[in-house]
Amino acid sequence: MKHNKMARLYVKLVMMLVLFSVAGHALAHGERNQEPFLRMKTLHWYDIKWSVANEATVQVNDEVTMTGKVHFFTRWPDQINKPTTVFLANATPGPVFVRVGTWLNDIPMIQSTGVELGRVYDFKVILKARVPGRHHVHPMFNVESAGGLVGPGIWITIAGDWEDFVYSIETRTGVQIENLGSYGVENVVKWHVFWVAVAVFWLVWWIRRPLLVNRFLLVKNNAWSELITKTDLMVGALLIVFIITVLIVANKYTKEEYPRTVPLQGGKVEVNYVPNPEEGQVLIKNHTAEYYLPGRTVTIDLSVTNNSDKAVTLGEFTSANLRFINQDSEEAMSRVDVGYPDELIANKGLVISKPSPILPGETRRMQVEATDVAWETERLSSLLNDPDSSYGALLFFYDDEGSRYTAEVYGQILPTFFDK
Amino acid sequence: MSLTAEEARLLKAISVPNSDAAKIVRNLDWIVVVVLLFAVTAAFHIHFMLTAGDWDFWVDWKDRMYWVTLTPMILIIIPAALSYPLMAKFGLPISGTLCGLCLMIGEWISRISGFHLWAYFPYSMIWPAIVIPGLMLMDLFYMMFRNVFLTTIFGGASVALAFAPANWPILAPYHIPVVHMNQLVNVADMIGYSFTRTATPEYLRFIERGTLRTFGGESTLISTFFSAFVCMILFYMWWRIGQFLSNLGTIPNQLKTMVGLEADKDEA
Repeated sequence: MKHNKMARLYVKLVMMLVLFSVAGHALAHGERNQEPFLRMKTLHWYDIKWSVANEATVQVNDEVTMTGKVHFFTRWPDQINKPTTVFLANATPGPVFVRVGTWLNDIPMIQSTGVELGRVYDFKVILKARVPGRHHVHPMFNVESAGGLVGPGIWITIAGDWEDFVYSIETRTGVQIENLGSYGVENVVKWHVFWVAVAVFWLVWWIRRPLLVNRFLLVKNNAWSELITKTDLMVGALLIVFIITVLIVANKYTKEEYPRTVPLQGGKVEVNYVPNPEEGQVLIKNHTAEYYLPGRTVTIDLSVTNNSDKAVTLGEFTSANLRFINQDSEEAMSRVDVGYPDELIANKGLVISKPSPILPGETRRMQVEATDVAWETERLSSLLNDPDSSYGALLFFYDDEGSRYTAEVYGQILPTFFDK
Repeated sequence: MSLTAEEARLLKAISVPNSDAAKIVRNLDWIVVVVLLFAVTAAFHIHFMLTAGDWDFWVDWKDRMYWVTLTPMILIIIPAALSYPLMAKFGLPISGTLCGLCLMIGEWISRISGFHLWAYFPYSMIWPAIVIPGLMLMDLFYMMFRNVFLTTIFGGASVALAFAPANWPILAPYHIPVVHMNQLVNVADMIGYSFTRTATPEYLRFIERGTLRTFGGESTLISTFFSAFVCMILFYMWWRIGQFLSNLGTIPNQLKTMVGLEADKDEA
């Protein structure tokens, strides 16, 4: 019996060690774990550019810039709040980068803002490298009640020494802060040590005498003059005066040293929508959409109406940061930057049943096929588990002059589990 | 209540300096002191982390309204409950000081190991609030008055009244105005903005979003006095809870009879 128990314990121990040994590092942000509806029907990020290439190495204190456009999908899911309160941020493993500046349509984004659905906004994020290591860096919007919605990310390695990081600012009162990360810390520690010393004094004052058994019996004997002596009362009274005096003097001195202070700023910034000529010229009607599981293919039967005065060609289908490019469209191919994360660009691209340009005023029905293993690896196929099995995406059309026209597509998606 | 003959004999024995009995009870004291230090640190720290939470974690949550109002209310709960057994059973006016010191120990361990070394946040962003002066005043007033009603009024209130003044000397440097990207913020806002908290965006901050409408915008003062009023009630309430729990004794285990065992004798 005892041997069995020991054997079981040994097996459990070995299994635990095996689990520890095979567990890898979690380096990214679990973006693939977000439900597909959160990635397909909320934000569509495009034209994303980083000032450094994927897998680049930067030094501590170097700056990295992310720019691009973000489209807030019209068919925003009902189960999360509309984006009336959002915050432009960066998804990094905590403060490994410091956020130097963020702008939405050129408006500084220190505070939160609200945005309109169906609109496109330009964003810019400047970061400063702080903690050495290999980090996954994305642009991100925090949306109230929806949480963080991340854009495409690249890997950046920070080299150097964390101790060399410096972030200096100047206050409105002319004080030069050498390093924001260590500013005021000495003063904080000094005051903490002071009050801890006062507390330790008071505790030692009591602990130095017999404590429990003696005092319990003295309380029972109602011998309060022995429990709390006149000296105790005197020291206590002096401490009351001392503490109150310290608080008053410290505040008086602080007021003299910092006469100009402002409270935390909690206002909301207004970002006006800038009209986008790319929108509304091409309209899409979704007829059916199917996800063929064995082949990892999404096929969409749709009608395209070209309301522009130029012939347009479908160049790209993008959803949940995945890009399916029409490889026959030079304009679409030219928009894929070198260094863009490979795993987010489908190898096979976009297959279109009627690929010729759609003439002005023409409505054309066509089938679009987006095939890639990324549907699986990016864990988007789990959209079939949603109570509302639907998809959302953005389509990019191009005319001969290289102008781009964007259109949303949305609809139910039907699963095909095996070959018919 | 007076001592039994045995208790009187015991008190006499342990009161002889350097006697074996005195040494034994003194050793017991030290064991209890160490256990108490760990227990109070763990209990008070987890309570404070779960309730004051972000207000105490981050410099850009330490506002004039919620932080000043809520922190003392949360702070007073365990010290008030503990003040009954320590004072009424042992004559020790140290519960606030003990809790305050233990909280500081727990907070700094957590900030250094968890927030700074593990999650890379700078110390300027994550320092904990000073809680000791108000809690000490609570102990001192309890000792001076040895009366729960006067302690409720003066001791309970002092936890809140001392909170903002104790922290302003360390917080004021972080409230100096800064203009960043042509926007007015203060240094604390700037620290919160710069050092990314991925899952805690700006809008999640429960801070004063509009000035309180009385007393010329003196939010700290209004918040402090409101908090002091609530702290009085909380002190009394939790002191009573401490009293109830300290005198609870034991409850006979009724389940024993259901499984055919002999019933416990009521010790209460």
